[in-house]
Amino acid sequence: MASHNEITESLQAFAEEYSNNKRLKIMNKDWNRKILVLANDIESGHTLVLNEGELSFTEGNVENPDLTVISDSEILVDMFYGDITPAEPYLKGTLKIIGSEDDILRLDFISLLIWGD
Amino acid sequence: MKKIVSVSLGSSKRDHKVNVVLLDTEFEISRLGTDGDFDRAIELLKELDGKVDAIGLGGIDLYLYAGQTRYAVQDGLRLAEVVKNTPVVDGSGLKNSLERETVRYLTQHSDLLKPGSKVLMVSALDRFGMAQSLTDSGCDMTFGDLIFSAGIPYPIKTLEELEEIARKTLPEMTKMPFHMLYPTGKKQDNQDDKKVEKFGHYYHEAEVIAGDFHLVKRYMPDGLNGQLVITNTTTAEDVEFIRQKGVAYLVTTTPEYNGRSFGTNVMEGVLLALLGKKWEDVTSEDYLELIGRLDMKPIIRKL
Repeated sequence: MASHNEITESLQAFAEEYSNNKRLKIMNKDWNRKILVLANDIESGHTLVLNEGELSFTEGNVENPDLTVISDSEILVDMFYGDITPAEPYLKGTLKIIGSEDDILRLDFISLLIWGD
Repeated sequence: MKKIVSVSLGSSKRDHKVNVVLLDTEFEISRLGTDGDFDRAIELLKELDGKVDAIGLGGIDLYLYAGQTRYAVQDGLRLAEVVKNTPVVDGSGLKNSLERETVRYLTQHSDLLKPGSKVLMVSALDRFGMAQSLTDSGCDMTFGDLIFSAGIPYPIKTLEELEEIARKTLPEMTKMPFHMLYPTGKKQDNQDDKKVEKFGHYYHEAEVIAGDFHLVKRYMPDGLNGQLVITNTTTAEDVEFIRQKGVAYLVTTTPEYNGRSFGTNVMEGVLLALLGKKWEDVTSEDYLELIGRLDMKPIIRKL
């Protein structure tokens, strides 16, 4: 089990990688979304905000998110550090993403473009 | 008589059957759509196994290619693996030969494709041979893989970037349910109005639109101004649809029988039956030699 702080640190790493990737910012210029990241084994919520291609995150929950990502704390940390891809736990059912299919696919692509290869 | 059946995840509205004679061999060629029903496709494949000469898989790929790397599509493999006795093909082998040949033919025998022509390939990873051939011909390429498959408005301009993005994303994306990446079943009967509005400008900016017909059709806007479309699997209805959208020329890469351009999966099945070889032993040269003997040329139609 990972801690809330470890999830925060993994999201920090994810946001930094994103910020260093100019191409991703161009790709997401049109995609303004609020993404709620919830752990289901500890009390932990974070909110990722994509706005005009820029990604930021805050601790705590947001109301009416466009996408909600739910998994156990270990998987969230592994995923945001790029140690595992979202496809793996998503297909096993240990990662749930609530939102439109188009948004889910796009979030997968972003993660792979950050951490893939 | 040799029987070739295409089992497709596409719409059953496009089902058809024809009899043709090729190099003195009689063929019955049919296509069975399952409206996106994966389990029904598995049932059909089991029923046909051992009873026909070749099976084509339609509406899904077994492999996607980027450069020298081949990525296996998990849902495609799941379908192919239930067939134990009959050769199964997805058209990727033939596409690699035939569609390169189509581009070569158009550049040498028509003025429809010139160096500098602005080409939108709606998806290149399922037709890497065509993408490479168009690039080699000096066309100004836009690869729409991210735009139309992932909804990301990012035109890929070079094969190198396409390969790099494929390397990062395909090992995982090919594990996802195929319907998330490609319109299957009833989605093939409709346009995606939101994406037509958002991404239609890529069609307007192009002189040539190439690639999988279901993708070409799904995102095609109104008011095109004389573009050329290079594709296959078009029906008479489809031809009228693109004509009304403003397309001026249609080039189909596979032969037409009874007014219908067949999918490469079906044609690869036919060629495989004629060659009498195992799929894994067939080379591009085998296909090219047979394409020559069959006098298979792209069909150019002014609309």
